[in-house]
Amino acid sequence: MAKQNKLSSPVAEFNGVSFRYDSGPEVLKDIQFTLDPGSFYFMTGESGAGKTSLLSLLYLYHLPTKGRVRLFGHAVDELTRPAKARIRRQMGVVFQDFRLLNHLTAFDNVALPLRIAGAKESEIRRHVSELLVWVGLENQMRAYPPELSGGEKQRVAIARAVINRPTLLMADEPTGNVDDSMAKRLLHLFLELNKLGTTVVIATHNEGLIKHFNFPRLHLEKGRLNVIQPNQYKEMASKLFNRGAEND
Amino acid sequence: MTKSNIFFTTDPAKLFLPWMSMLMTFIAVLVLAGGMATYSSVTRWQRTVSGSLTVQIPTYTELGASRGEMVDREIETTLTILRSSEGVLGATVLSDRQMSDLMAPWLGENAVITELPLPKLIDVTVDPNSRLDIAQIKSDLATQVPSAILDSHRIWLTPLLRISSGIIKLIGFILVLLSLTAAFTVIYATRTSLTVHEPVIALVHMMGAGDLYVTQQYASRSFQLTLLGSLFGFFLTLPIMAGVSFFIQGASFDFILKQSLSLGQWAVLLSVPFLLSVLAFITTFKTVMNYLKRFL
Repeated sequence: MAKQNKLSSPVAEFNGVSFRYDSGPEVLKDIQFTLDPGSFYFMTGESGAGKTSLLSLLYLYHLPTKGRVRLFGHAVDELTRPAKARIRRQMGVVFQDFRLLNHLTAFDNVALPLRIAGAKESEIRRHVSELLVWVGLENQMRAYPPELSGGEKQRVAIARAVINRPTLLMADEPTGNVDDSMAKRLLHLFLELNKLGTTVVIATHNEGLIKHFNFPRLHLEKGRLNVIQPNQYKEMASKLFNRGAEND
Repeated sequence: MTKSNIFFTTDPAKLFLPWMSMLMTFIAVLVLAGGMATYSSVTRWQRTVSGSLTVQIPTYTELGASRGEMVDREIETTLTILRSSEGVLGATVLSDRQMSDLMAPWLGENAVITELPLPKLIDVTVDPNSRLDIAQIKSDLATQVPSAILDSHRIWLTPLLRISSGIIKLIGFILVLLSLTAAFTVIYATRTSLTVHEPVIALVHMMGAGDLYVTQQYASRSFQLTLLGSLFGFFLTLPIMAGVSFFIQGASFDFILKQSLSLGQWAVLLSVPFLLSVLAFITTFKTVMNYLKRFL
């Protein structure tokens, strides 16, 4: 597995970032936040609020149309192509639609980031097998994605995102297709990585999970971001609850 | 799975490139072999005949009367003209014995040369590197020995050389056309493949694969597929070339067309599959590098 980076500078810094697709309307407006090394955030917001767009700026798929994004201390608009590739290799992404390669087995899909990073085949075999056992896919290693259920695909996608022990892990609805116990098990995997220093950002609608794990939220509403700390969230929830009770 | 087959399980170029390269190599090798055979033959003709001239002095008049001592005087004058010309290394009158040997294939060993109204032949050796002024020799002979007939092989060799040079240029043009066609075909096949595999490329790009990682896989694949088809195309030409060679030998055309290629020429032919594969590699490399610019 890739060595964990010891970072002193923030993993990500967004300063006055706005983003639009081509000439469309702004989907992200004046975003301002910092992800510190080893932090854990949930990203919340209704569908269309801009979660996927914000994640795509984080994993360097797009550049902001306004403002500045810094990743691992580097301004992304000043990075060379090889430098961008190096930064991407420090990230793991779980996509909402999994994006597994149908012509590769579950094993080879998970091995992909290690192969791209140039790891030895013996290491790849050992690490990938261990991880697939851990996510409960020991009997599906040689299966192709079309032969897997939605939940199994999701676990393969998660295994692929964490196999190289990324410095920054992003997941878009990573527990959407698994039952509660598997969702908690997968979240514990993210927590283990987080304890080892990985910064984690999970976009989710699963309120149960958010309540169960006491982490701050990056909450998006109509393209604008609010960073909500867990105690603030509880206060907001209780205020909302009390106001509702008074009205009754 | 290995590092080199992430993209290609369902690759449309898998069949297309080998077929294209087989066909291109087949045509290129045959055209090139024809060109080299033509070039070798022309060079051989040039080497054989450009270093000599022949002058005929008739021994009998058109009415059949002997020209007697006049012939000897004309021979002397002709020899003087020839030996004083720049570029002439030597001029000798062929003896009856030499004439008899020359005529033997047609008239038999026992032919009596002296009984035939054959002209006297003067064999002229010419420095092939000199600028022999044939027109001047012809003019001098016409003035001083009007009956002399000058046979310059250059007279028939020159148009032949012009034709063969044209053929060689045409072959070069065909080879350039074939190379361009091959390059455009590779570009088309690569672009098709890139379009088919765009989601995969986007994914590995997001995982941190550098441009070289993607490009090398495509270029190596293109090289392998082209080499495979190209070698097959090369081997397909062998029975055809053997057949043509057999035909030339059997029909006694060997004097006209050199029927065997030298080792160097075989090496040139064998380089065609490798050159085509290198062309495919470079074309694919540039095409993919260009394509990847669309990703951040």
